[in-house]
Amino acid sequence: MNVSTMNFSVEPCTQETVIIRVGKALDFRNAAEFKTVCQEQVRSGVRNFILDFTDTGILDSTGLGSIFSLYRQVSPLEGQVVFASVSRPVQVVVQLTRTYKVFRQFPTVEAAREAVL
Amino acid sequence: MDGHTILVVEDEYTLRRLLEYRLGKLYRVRTAANGEEALEQIAEQLPDLIISDIMMPKMDGFALQAALQERRETRAIPFIFLTAKADEQSRLRGMRTGVDDYITKPFDIEQLLVRVERLLERTHYYRNQLDERIGQDFSRRLMPKKLPQASGYRTFFHNQPREHGGGDLFDWMEARPGVYFITIGDVMGKGLQAKFYAFSFLAYMRSILHALISTTDSPAELMTRMNQVLMDDPPMEETFASLLLMRWEPERNTVTYANAGHCRPLLVLRDQARVIEYSDLVLGLNPHATFKDTTFELPPNSALLTYTDGIVEQRMRTGEMLGENGLASFLPPALGKPQPIEWLLNELLQQSEAPEFQDDILVFWLERMKQPEEQRSGPRWFSPFLDTTEAKP
Repeated sequence: MNVSTMNFSVEPCTQETVIIRVGKALDFRNAAEFKTVCQEQVRSGVRNFILDFTDTGILDSTGLGSIFSLYRQVSPLEGQVVFASVSRPVQVVVQLTRTYKVFRQFPTVEAAREAVL
Repeated sequence: MDGHTILVVEDEYTLRRLLEYRLGKLYRVRTAANGEEALEQIAEQLPDLIISDIMMPKMDGFALQAALQERRETRAIPFIFLTAKADEQSRLRGMRTGVDDYITKPFDIEQLLVRVERLLERTHYYRNQLDERIGQDFSRRLMPKKLPQASGYRTFFHNQPREHGGGDLFDWMEARPGVYFITIGDVMGKGLQAKFYAFSFLAYMRSILHALISTTDSPAELMTRMNQVLMDDPPMEETFASLLLMRWEPERNTVTYANAGHCRPLLVLRDQARVIEYSDLVLGLNPHATFKDTTFELPPNSALLTYTDGIVEQRMRTGEMLGENGLASFLPPALGKPQPIEWLLNELLQQSEAPEFQDDILVFWLERMKQPEEQRSGPRWFSPFLDTTEAKP
């Protein structure tokens, strides 16, 4: 079952893994909401997050910070945060901040799902 | 739904439900049947506005209003009396206790909705203005009052925060005669929170630099230590920052830098500008992150441009963001200009989609002159925070 929020949809894969469709933008306007959505998932036992950036045209530093918070939350739990279908604007930010050293990237959500599960 | 929470305090069940239904289309609504219940609700979560009846069992509206006035965190919550007490004495008493509006029953629900909206708008406006003033004050304090000076060089700086601004920071120190450390960074986030974290981060950074500078000259080693601080110290655990830390030695004409995911500097030459490539991971994300020192030489008649992301994220008339390459294409003609940053920003704005920058702008320009004798004394400073006479000596 998909859980829709204002900007993000969460698709469970297993008890420990979800796909989050990031949508058009992850920036200072909705980063807090993203954090809340992720925290709810972590509380319910999710450790692995596949972030789907197919439609994402904007990722600013506040949005990226919210992904970092998630990473710091799940890392001690042996969890993962991976990026899938990374759009060009997201790729620019990932390159600039060198965060590809931390977040594995996959060309499609399917490929990410296969690697994580 | 715009996220505002309204508390309706009304003992009459039907009216309470009606208000809950109508207001609920626009706001989050919580309800209470009397003043006592309202105080319990308020203790759980502060509402953005309260609509209260006056005559209620247990605790009436006047007593509720008086209780709210006693506490600092509740006395400023906008408060509307909605009451059957239409007599002038009650109205005056209500207004004297500091309520923001007084509506008598029977009332027009549309009129109530308009008044609620206006009150929320006004509160939002004042809060925003206050945040903006505090944010500007933080911005001003995050910036240095003077620039480094060295023979054969010109230095320029510009900072322009937008509205509440973000966590841009700039700092420099002369570690020992002729050796300067310059830092440009961006603490992730927006608004006052980012400003506050940038302030704390700057304090950390300065302490680390002062403490370790006698033991190392390596920006990479200093960066590693800063990353550890951010990773280990609980108050800073939600702080992530991109940072460029440079050691500038004017007598050798060299810059050695470590870059933690910050916008890459541009070396401006007479005929081209090129990206100074090497960069590592942002700070605060990985305790095992490693950082590397890279050294390059500044030839005569060249400049180093360092900046935060607001400038490269500016949308141009083409609809595209400026980007590193776009910025590089504007730079060579700025060399040697009396005010290179001012010139550059004007040129950029002429080809921008909007007539002003859409985000915070922070730019530092370090120029090695053609010949040492061309040097003029004093740093040049271009900042909206200073008055014109001070800004352009």
